[in-house]
Amino acid sequence: MTALLQVRGLRLDAPTPRGPAHILRGVDLDIGAGRIVGVVGESGSGKSSLALALLRLLPDSVRVSGHAVMDGTDLAALPEAAMGAWRVQRIAMIFQDPATALNPLLTVGTQLADVLRRRAPGLSRAALRTQAEAALRRVEIADPARRLRAYPHELSGGMRQRVMIAMGLLAQPSLLLADEPTTALDATVEAGIIALFRGLRAELGGSILFISHDLGLVADLCDDIAVLYGGLVVEAGPAAAVTGAPAHPYTAALLACTLDGAGRLPSIPGDVPDPVAEPPGCIFAPRCPLAEARCEGEPQALRAVGAGHTVACWKAAPVQAA
Amino acid sequence: MTPAAELRDVRVTFPGGVGALAGVSLALVPGAVTGLVGESGSGKTTLCRVLLGLQPPTAGAVLLDGQPLAALLARDRLVVRRRAGMLLQDAAGSLSPRMTLRRLLAEPASIHGLPRAEAWARTEALMHRLGLSPDLLDKYPHQVSGGQARRVAIVRALVLQPALLVADEPTAGLDVSVQGDLLNLLLDLQAELGLTLLVCSHNLPVIRRITAATAVMYLGEVVEHGPTAALFAAPAHPYTDALLATRGGGRPPLRGDPPSPVHPPSGCRFHTRCPLAQPRCGAEHPELRQVDGRAVRCHYPLVGALDGPLTEAQPGP
Repeated sequence: MTALLQVRGLRLDAPTPRGPAHILRGVDLDIGAGRIVGVVGESGSGKSSLALALLRLLPDSVRVSGHAVMDGTDLAALPEAAMGAWRVQRIAMIFQDPATALNPLLTVGTQLADVLRRRAPGLSRAALRTQAEAALRRVEIADPARRLRAYPHELSGGMRQRVMIAMGLLAQPSLLLADEPTTALDATVEAGIIALFRGLRAELGGSILFISHDLGLVADLCDDIAVLYGGLVVEAGPAAAVTGAPAHPYTAALLACTLDGAGRLPSIPGDVPDPVAEPPGCIFAPRCPLAEARCEGEPQALRAVGAGHTVACWKAAPVQAA
Repeated sequence: MTPAAELRDVRVTFPGGVGALAGVSLALVPGAVTGLVGESGSGKTTLCRVLLGLQPPTAGAVLLDGQPLAALLARDRLVVRRRAGMLLQDAAGSLSPRMTLRRLLAEPASIHGLPRAEAWARTEALMHRLGLSPDLLDKYPHQVSGGQARRVAIVRALVLQPALLVADEPTAGLDVSVQGDLLNLLLDLQAELGLTLLVCSHNLPVIRRITAATAVMYLGEVVEHGPTAALFAAPAHPYTDALLATRGGGRPPLRGDPPSPVHPPSGCRFHTRCPLAQPRCGAEHPELRQVDGRAVRCHYPLVGALDGPLTEAQPGP
């Protein structure tokens, strides 16, 4: 598998009155060309910051170290002036809340045309309109000619998110970042958006990084999964392997937190790690049901347990290929 | 048995002609957990507000323990507040950021003029029950975790010893690793205190797991209401069926958005999105009918129809 993007040892540190908060503590992640990669994690695991770091949209006060290499360029080291050429054209993002991501003062048509103009500056007004209309039709918005004249507040939440996806289509980026694109939507609307992602993946052409707290949703949609906990990837691999044979106790515990069955509902006791703390051992050890002395004492690096399947736990045994 | 709370043909119309509730009748069995599901804009929140006396109905009657709510409110608003409590969706946001947890927790008793020592003893017992350490008392809401803030909101609601508790999206925004904890706690308290609990959520797995009965709302109407197990095993209304199909059911998702509540569709309100709509559905508004042990508002309910696996779990009407 050729990797479109290789993230190595990515660290993000934000200053707080209590000392630096370690938002990411050295993330390793590969995004294969044309793959949909799901990043799952709880709130505070650093999943949104990871996406913002790739686009270099974090505040200046956040210290970035490590590497994020795409097409031979290290995005983590790119000067701000050069980053502009990457945003939208090479890496685009669909935000969680389409209501705030769209400009309320501009029509849908103007915002779609802006994306097109960035990619192809010479397009005529008629060509812009035709292409924008076609994009809305592809995301299954009825009556696209009328919707082009609409302002974001005139659209429902589901339709706004479809407009965001249409912008993603028009940008034709090599990498599309989608940060919880369905969290703000109703279940019936969410199902439609997920179906749309699945249907459009061929057209999008590039890779998608799909961020979610919903392991079930990610397992359903994505080719690969990376499980993020406390700013570290603790397990990564093909979706079927990670959900079918989880090798990290955290992944297993997350998978066990379903609402199926009867009796007491499962949960993971304890709290997520304090971002300021610097535990010497495994980041999950304080909540891990299998933790031993060794876990508290030595940090865990990702190692292979199967084809493309890596895990940061010394206890994990190699998974036999099925 | 007198319902703990009852809506009788309640209508709420907001200025501009927005019909938030279009003739809702619903009775809550005392001491039971009832779920209320539906998309945003279906009227869930308005129904809760009407039930608690926060929104006067445009028409229809609301009864609390068989007594008209309007009369109770006219006599003493605070008595109603003590009998029916609410857990707001954004529990952390519902706590004043300028008050310590100690003041926030003492506030309900002082507003209601309850004997201070007795109320505080109850508060401390509830805090202990919910695993809130007394060390937290001098902290402000932003200094505690989301789960802890939610527990504080629960204590504030329960210290008044309500018989009815309405919880709006109790797990929204909570991680899966902690939502189980919160739901276990709510269910334990419900059983220990004999609470009548109404849970509004669009999280269907949550509703399925914790409720005995479920009411499904669409565009201001209850379209199906019945025992949760039967409703999830074999939905009778095509809208319920579509809601259940949203996760990996293999069936195509619902197309389009809910129509405007200002100009609801003629006939059945769901017919514009219904995959099974017939000409009659656009012309004739269906009444809520008893089908197979539940109430269904559909001319062609799925239960009882010869439609393969859907009818498996239930005998025909």
